[in-house]
Amino acid sequence: SSGKGSATNTSVGDNDSIKVFVRVRPLTQGTGLTTDGDQSLCLTVTSPNTIRLLSKPEPRTFTYDHVADMETSQDSVFSSVAKNIVESCMNGYNGTIFAYGQTGSGKTFTMLGPSELDNFTDELRGVIPRSFEYLFFLINREAERSGQSKNFLCKCSFIEIYNEQIYDLLDTASASLFLRENIKKGVFVEGAVEKFVNSAAEAYQVLSMGWRNRRVASTSMNRESSRSHAVFTMTLESKESINEVVNIRMSQLNLVDLAGSERQKDTHTEGSRLKEASSINRSLMCLGQVIMALVDVSNGKNRHICYRDSKLTFLLRDSLGGNAKTYIIANVHPGSKCFGETLSTLQFAQRAKLIKNKAVINEDTQGNVR
Amino acid sequence: MASVNSDEWRAICDKFNNAQNLTEVESRNDPENDPFRSKYKARELLREIYCSLKSFEAGEGEEESGGESGEQRPTEQPVDGQREDGQGISGDSPAGMRAAKLGAVEYYLGVNHVDTEELSAGQEHLMNCMKLLERCRVSSENVSLFIHVRNQLGILWAGRDETEMAQGFLETAESIYQRYMKEDGSPPTDMTEYFTSEENLLTHQERTKRFELAYTHTMYYLAQVYKNLGETERAATYCHSTLQRQLQLNQFSPMEWALNAATLSQYYITKGRYMEGRHCLSAATVISGLAGEVPSEAAAQESETESERREHLRQKRAEIARCWIKYCLNLLQDSKKLLEDNIGELDTDRQDELKRARRREEEEEEKGRKSALLFGSEDTFDSIASLEEKVLCLFPLDFTEARSVFLVGQNYVTQAKEYFQMDGYVTDHIEILQDHSSLFRALAFFEEDLERRCKMHKRRVDMLEPICNDLNSQYYLLIRRQLMFELAETYSEMMDLKLTLANRQADTQSLDNHTIKKFNSLCSASAKYFQMFLDSLCSPEGKFPDVLEEEVLRPALVARFRVARLHSRLISSVPPVQLENLNRSLENYKYVVQYCEAHPEAAAAAETELELSKEMVGLLPLKINRLKARMAANN
Repeated sequence: SSGKGSATNTSVGDNDSIKVFVRVRPLTQGTGLTTDGDQSLCLTVTSPNTIRLLSKPEPRTFTYDHVADMETSQDSVFSSVAKNIVESCMNGYNGTIFAYGQTGSGKTFTMLGPSELDNFTDELRGVIPRSFEYLFFLINREAERSGQSKNFLCKCSFIEIYNEQIYDLLDTASASLFLRENIKKGVFVEGAVEKFVNSAAEAYQVLSMGWRNRRVASTSMNRESSRSHAVFTMTLESKESINEVVNIRMSQLNLVDLAGSERQKDTHTEGSRLKEASSINRSLMCLGQVIMALVDVSNGKNRHICYRDSKLTFLLRDSLGGNAKTYIIANVHPGSKCFGETLSTLQFAQRAKLIKNKAVINEDTQGNVR
Repeated sequence: MASVNSDEWRAICDKFNNAQNLTEVESRNDPENDPFRSKYKARELLREIYCSLKSFEAGEGEEESGGESGEQRPTEQPVDGQREDGQGISGDSPAGMRAAKLGAVEYYLGVNHVDTEELSAGQEHLMNCMKLLERCRVSSENVSLFIHVRNQLGILWAGRDETEMAQGFLETAESIYQRYMKEDGSPPTDMTEYFTSEENLLTHQERTKRFELAYTHTMYYLAQVYKNLGETERAATYCHSTLQRQLQLNQFSPMEWALNAATLSQYYITKGRYMEGRHCLSAATVISGLAGEVPSEAAAQESETESERREHLRQKRAEIARCWIKYCLNLLQDSKKLLEDNIGELDTDRQDELKRARRREEEEEEKGRKSALLFGSEDTFDSIASLEEKVLCLFPLDFTEARSVFLVGQNYVTQAKEYFQMDGYVTDHIEILQDHSSLFRALAFFEEDLERRCKMHKRRVDMLEPICNDLNSQYYLLIRRQLMFELAETYSEMMDLKLTLANRQADTQSLDNHTIKKFNSLCSASAKYFQMFLDSLCSPEGKFPDVLEEEVLRPALVARFRVARLHSRLISSVPPVQLENLNRSLENYKYVVQYCEAHPEAAAAAETELELSKEMVGLLPLKINRLKARMAANN
């Protein structure tokens, strides 16, 4: 990609396409990424939706739905990214917000706020607490307006995906869980704990508890939280009774903290590195992936791929195209030392705009015009 | 060179064994904060070995300034300095042996540096190994090292995005192997044997195995290199060779192998190469059988391990079954394409011609291609062959042949559904049903009896209709759209068949009431599903989008056009109803025309439909006005 992806003509119909918000964190000391007080930067924000990366020999410009510079406040991130998604949730759409970026690029700060924060009224609180507040504000307003003919039910679950295994962060005693599908419920994690919440404060409590468990798990079971994806899901059910007719609407809001991008050493970021044969294992691991790549250049033919989606993409399938609103927040660190990771984050974000679940309509082209 | 039994030499061998052990075993337990501890220790030992080797009295040939001559070769030279002239020291001369031993140490040092993320130092050592070998002829004493060092350099350069460099090294490794096998072929010395005592030398069998495995890796790396270069055809060939060699060397885990072969079959069928596809699938089925029996449900209840094993085996076998379904489906669909005339009916002249051509080609072609392709080891060869015989790989050219392919496909549908049940695997289950429906559709093409053809389409409706109505439209919007479209088309197909049948039976033009009712209900059902598809594009407030997204553009225009046609075909003797139908029809034709006027780029997506819609927008108002005039006159 030339880095000249256009983000302006994709907002047609205002749904479907995945939107990308890039946030540049400020250059501060003590992040472990800015060493020796090196103040040189590898990027500049050139407009509210373009960013220039100072690459050699030519600087490259990337275009996104929104680019936020170092000065951007937590509140304005929420307004640009989450406000609209929370509103759609009230109207029955599913919504997903992903946070992506290398460790130390400000993901947790963006999503939660400063780590020592337990009072979440602070001005520095992140996207998630603000989403909770806004959601419950809308719920209460809606319930009042309808004169209590509308009821809302809100459930939360919080899971972690590590090494393609699913763990419940609200029940650390449980073994790994399975994904299942049901014609009425769609994709769900079988046996995941669901907690009912009645206010933003309660939702935040559930989140904090899970977040703590994530840390505990990472120390006790040798799991590294920067290598796991965490998915916090709020299910919103509204029930409206008008003259004996009950109208039920369900929607989901997924808040996803993706594994640190520097750990995403998957085939998509490795470019042309060869998979090596391991002498210990008798198999040539990943030959399947090589073959799969050959089949994927399919010419509209009908084929089956034996290797299943990753758990994460399967779980969030309808967030990736289809009828959901999706925003990716790509966090980057502006320091020169982070050039490589920043470039790959920007490229990932560019590619993410192209992710779509397409339904190919197989029409019978013959005989329809007789 | 010290004599093989001197104490000095023994010390070197011990060091080498230690280094190997540190690298392969100990290093797996290195602490997180000192991840290369064992590798660094191994590196020290290797350096000591190198020094000892150098200090032994030099053999013939001048002294090498080992390690210091790290100069890059100029890039305009060929990547790999393998000499084709066969000049050089013979491999089993003292000088040749010495070069090989030094080369081997350089090789291990190179790998060690690469492992510890010091790539350029690693490269230097590997290149030193290449230089030492340059002076030697390829022989059974050193051929293994020739291959190994090039494999490593291939990996190294690919990691730097220098794919062509990698390709050069790996292709040379390949040609060295092939030449050696042609000219000599005796089991070659393994590099580890340079540093073992007489009594610990490997058996011929073990030598062969290790050498063949190194070459298998060359194949595997080349497969990846060609994939990265976009040469898919070549990459597929190398994947194929890798799989074949894994079988021969008995170096594979059955289920993984089977899935890889099944995936490769999908590559072949998308290229229309059914013989290769069938062979891969037959091999996949046979080899997956080697993974053992599926534990019973009772056993799975008893233990976690058994339960996991049961899940794993059942799932993978169901996946292979699904690859088979695609094979049968594509084979039928491709033959249909070959045989159909411009209105999608069987062209009997083409059929005769193809049958004649097939008899001619069959014998020659199959023999030639087949020999290049065979998978199998001595034990599995026959089972694979007999499984292949159960289904055609040539295009079925008549109903009997098509039916035999259909039945095999249907059998795999049943197998796949056993694991991918609706409850728990909605998406997979529906995909399998959609394939089943497509199998019926392809078979119907070959069926000459229209009544039976209609019944096949009815089976499709019965399969898909309940699901389409039960699915949650929020989570399964895309699948539902596919189902709606397919149901709409199936009803249309049935409607046309009924009409053709009725017209054949009735000599007069008038249809009886029963037939009209039947026809109208099929027509309405088809229109209903097209409309349902269109409604699925609306916002929650029920507004149809002003601009159609690219992936639904054509289906949406086609659906509008078809709704228009269906309404104009509804049979009614009641003028107001007729009028209503014609108006609905006109409205939909108008939509197609107006949309394409407003968005000229959309016209290309539905050319034929647009042309006909324009015509109808011109004609229908006349028809409507005539009808209105008649109605007015009758009142």
